[in-house]
Amino acid sequence: MKDTFILAFESSCDETSVSIIRNGCDEIATVVLSQMDIHAEYGGVVPEIASRNHVENITLVIEQCLEKANMTIEEIDAIAITYGPGLIGSLLVGLQAAKTLAYIYNKPLVPVHHIAGHIYANNLVKPMKFPLMALVVSGGHTELVYMKEDYSFKKIGGTLDDAVGEAYDKVARVIKVPYPGGPIIDRLAYEGEDTYNLPIPLNDDSYNFSFSGLKSAVINLHHNEEQRGNEINKANLACSFQNRVSDILVKKTMKAMKEYNVKNLIVAGGVAANKGLRSKLEKECKNNGYELTIPSIKYCTDNAAMIGAAGYYAYKLGRIADLNLNSKANDILK
Amino acid sequence: MMSLFIDTSNFRLIVAVVDELSNKVISYYNEKLSGDLSVKVFDVIQTCIEQANIKPREIEKLYCVTGPGSFTGVRIGVTICKTFAWSLNKKVIPISSLEVLSSTNTNYKTIVGAIDARRDFVYAGVYDENLNIKHADKYILIEDLKELLKNEDYCVVSDDELNGFENIVNSNIDVLKIINKHKNDESVNPHKLNPNYLKITEAEANLKKKND
Repeated sequence: MKDTFILAFESSCDETSVSIIRNGCDEIATVVLSQMDIHAEYGGVVPEIASRNHVENITLVIEQCLEKANMTIEEIDAIAITYGPGLIGSLLVGLQAAKTLAYIYNKPLVPVHHIAGHIYANNLVKPMKFPLMALVVSGGHTELVYMKEDYSFKKIGGTLDDAVGEAYDKVARVIKVPYPGGPIIDRLAYEGEDTYNLPIPLNDDSYNFSFSGLKSAVINLHHNEEQRGNEINKANLACSFQNRVSDILVKKTMKAMKEYNVKNLIVAGGVAANKGLRSKLEKECKNNGYELTIPSIKYCTDNAAMIGAAGYYAYKLGRIADLNLNSKANDILK
Repeated sequence: MMSLFIDTSNFRLIVAVVDELSNKVISYYNEKLSGDLSVKVFDVIQTCIEQANIKPREIEKLYCVTGPGSFTGVRIGVTICKTFAWSLNKKVIPISSLEVLSSTNTNYKTIVGAIDARRDFVYAGVYDENLNIKHADKYILIEDLKELLKNEDYCVVSDDELNGFENIVNSNIDVLKIINKHKNDESVNPHKLNPNYLKITEAEANLKKKND
């Protein structure tokens, strides 16, 4: 069978990334230019600054990727692009670059939903087995997605307010650890003990999540302790917070696995790098005889390789867009 | 030799294919945006290139309007031009959106291209009737601009509702005039073709204030 090469673009937040993927599973080359250091100064991503950096770097990133792959655009079969969801100004830059190349080289343009990309990052690790359940956890998303087969997505639950990574970043700000605080809270949690009385967020029968109440509880607790002149034990607070978050994520995921009768669980998104969550999922999957796949850290954060992996399957299904494709800040995965 | 002119900077989509040898505009589109620029822009580029009866690769040079204006609008045109020029190794010349406005034919010797920048500010560039710069493009208070031009007999060209100017007309741009002015300019490296916002972001301004 002839190989299929996808040139993929991802610019939905603060990473400018371009990748070439063969047959939806082999990474030929990926370049990721992260703006994390630029935004750290502001305590979070500033959309206009992110957009400005994307436009400055986009052609350099494409060029580096092609050089790394030792390929030309003529050798590419299709161009995949994250059309959404994400920061609209950032998305638009990647989209224009992708459309320009699709137009002048007459290549099919394949729109990819950012979450589909995160899920398909797992295909770069080992072939995805269906049916499966995907737990998508990142700075912008917290979703449980059931997949009966390739490129069929059924969202069975999601966050009603803050995404899990967002809650981590906000809690990090309260306890004054630098941005991005998620990984630091994860590390602190390992050093601490679960001593703080924090609520279990949205502990119900649904597959939805809500982290804003838990976040507020942390803020209030911190404030009250400060007022009383008590010093907060950051490690213990991190541990208590992380336990509430990971417990509810694991509990609802396991419930979904059982109800949908699936044996394969994949985890995706930046928070998939969280060690606390990983170890609990590993334990529960082992106990229940489920197969768990979590991509390596480099595929957890935003990158174009995952868009190329998802884009391959979308392309094979004929999901091609016209050049009037637009970016969407919000869109449901389907 | 065919050139492509693209201006997406100011809620108006302008695309032209120009034959520089015969000094003729072959195809031309200039409309106020009614929908999303990102949806429309390739339809228009494609149509203009098809009307010129050429393939995209036959474009030898791009004239890219790099702002100032709508940040998102400018980025769309600049990203298209830099990707186009880089991938096909074509020349690309940056053009000011204020100079584009100033190419409008008026009976004045001093022409001010102006775009509303809100809160009583404008982006303004002052040109003579041959598009030579008299005062460089700037982000300026309307009052300060009027003070700067108090001894001049000038006309403002703007598509925005700007108050306080005696002589103000809507744009009716002259693409050939702009191209003839810039056809011998040196091409820039496409990687370095970037928007000219003339204004730092609010976040940067706030951080600067905090640090000062």
